[in-house]
Amino acid sequence: MLKIKNLVSGYGSVQILNGANMKVDNQSIVALLGGNGTGKSTILKACSGIIRTWKGSINFNGEDIQNLPPHNIVEKGLVQVTQGKDVFPAMTVLENLRLGGFTLKSKQTLNDNIEKVFNYFPRLNERKSQLAATLSGGELQMLCIGRGLMSNPKMIMLDEPSAALAPQIVLDIFKNINKIRKDGLTVLVVEQNVRMALLLADYGYVIKDGVINVEGESKKLMYDESVKDSYLGGGGTTANV
Amino acid sequence: MFKGFKLTRKLENTLMLVFTLIFLGYISMSPDMNLESLKGVLIIGITVGIIYGLVAVGISLIYTGLDVVNFSHGEFFMLGAFTGLTVYNFLIDGELIYAIFPDAYGWVGYVIGLFFAFVIMGLFGVLIERVFLRPLTKKGGGYTVAGMGIIICGFGLSVVLLNLAYIIWNPTAHPFHADLGLPINIGGVTLPMTYLWMLVTGFTVAGALYFFLNKTKMGLGVRAVAHSKVISNLVGINVPLYISIIFGIACALAGLAGTLVGPTYQVVVYMGYIILLKAFASAVVGGFGSLPGAIVGGFTVGLFETSCAFFISGSHKDAYAFLLMIVVLLIKPTGFFGVQVKMKA
Repeated sequence: MLKIKNLVSGYGSVQILNGANMKVDNQSIVALLGGNGTGKSTILKACSGIIRTWKGSINFNGEDIQNLPPHNIVEKGLVQVTQGKDVFPAMTVLENLRLGGFTLKSKQTLNDNIEKVFNYFPRLNERKSQLAATLSGGELQMLCIGRGLMSNPKMIMLDEPSAALAPQIVLDIFKNINKIRKDGLTVLVVEQNVRMALLLADYGYVIKDGVINVEGESKKLMYDESVKDSYLGGGGTTANV
Repeated sequence: MFKGFKLTRKLENTLMLVFTLIFLGYISMSPDMNLESLKGVLIIGITVGIIYGLVAVGISLIYTGLDVVNFSHGEFFMLGAFTGLTVYNFLIDGELIYAIFPDAYGWVGYVIGLFFAFVIMGLFGVLIERVFLRPLTKKGGGYTVAGMGIIICGFGLSVVLLNLAYIIWNPTAHPFHADLGLPINIGGVTLPMTYLWMLVTGFTVAGALYFFLNKTKMGLGVRAVAHSKVISNLVGINVPLYISIIFGIACALAGLAGTLVGPTYQVVVYMGYIILLKAFASAVVGGFGSLPGAIVGGFTVGLFETSCAFFISGSHKDAYAFLLMIVVLLIKPTGFFGVQVKMKA
């Protein structure tokens, strides 16, 4: 579904990605892991067209999408879901969702999709006429994911859905992500909560210094020594250094 | 002595109220104070205020959309007045309008003039934005970094547009003889028809803008782009197109306001800069970047200015708007509506 080949990109003149390669299969959940500043979010931003791709290619559903305007990429069915704080705080929940379906042409589809989102997240239905600024952290994350689902995407890319949330809420959100996949969507999830992400995903990539360092089945990655040391709190690592 | 001293919201509001009461007390002691003059001041103040409000809404819209203050906005006001005047004169000089509307040629011509000022200034604004402002922001990845260059560009544009108008219409004052009928009497106040047109058109357009922003899909997009260009991109809004729309609407409003003001005064090449400063003061008073705030700020500045000019001294008319701005900035730096909705978490 999504193939990234030798992706080189960055901000301004600072190069962050040094030739990353990735593949996301249809209807799978893929986790992209890595520490701070390794280029996880940069890959997502390049995919959704917010920053320019300097070199390499991004192929979505058989089409090259690198350096297309962001709204065209959304129309093609690839949507990035931002972290929970990136909502429109001065608008109601319903308006936020309507904005998610901005590319939809018919009003009927828009209303159907709002119903669909409320099925995933009943909490949003209770709060639909509230301003987004009054929502709690978990509800904001739900709103962001819901907004991403509004435009009938084929694939969504989640940027740290567990950031700054209580474990119980993270579990709830991850259950919903699994449900979304079962309904036929492909999911790429960027996470710092490595254990949770690997439990959810089928396949994992670990990024380091702008290139993919380790990849593999998520069950294997969970027991991989280098991943364990780097990201799962390997315990003795610092002592050995 | 005042280190660490901070005004709370409640204290701010109390101080604003005290200032208002002192001001009202002062003008009520004026020898000119009576019910007749008060009614007149109220109506004129609101009329002037809606014009300031319309221009200020444009400034606020551009500020939220492009993150810069458009210092050439007054010139769009001036060009709008000239467009309206030119269209009106063209229609009145011809025979056709008398043949079709023998009784109502004056206001039909005026409405057509208003319409053309609105549309032509809107298109002109889009053109200016596409040709001159867009290349400046391209470098920052498209409207994420605007910076100083675009502000200087605004000043330059102002000079260029002023001189363009100078070449086309020469620097003499052009009278705008809109034939709108005799003054009417509203509640004991004799009001020229031009003021009534300002009131009615101003409120209609402000209402239409409110409807557009809150009830239509395109308005929703405009509000989204005004809040965040990155998130708007991610939900599939064509951000560059919407920036053009925002600039176009703002310039169209300024052009319309220009044609509304034209008949009450004269149309001069230099009429733009003072309205820019007063509209700027209105936007600051109402809370910069807030659209309802811009309209309310416009009313406040209009009423304050008119009442000061009438009850205190008419010779310093243009200074009062800035006096009010300074007072509001001292007491309530966010303006009336300038509190952004904060995230809870």
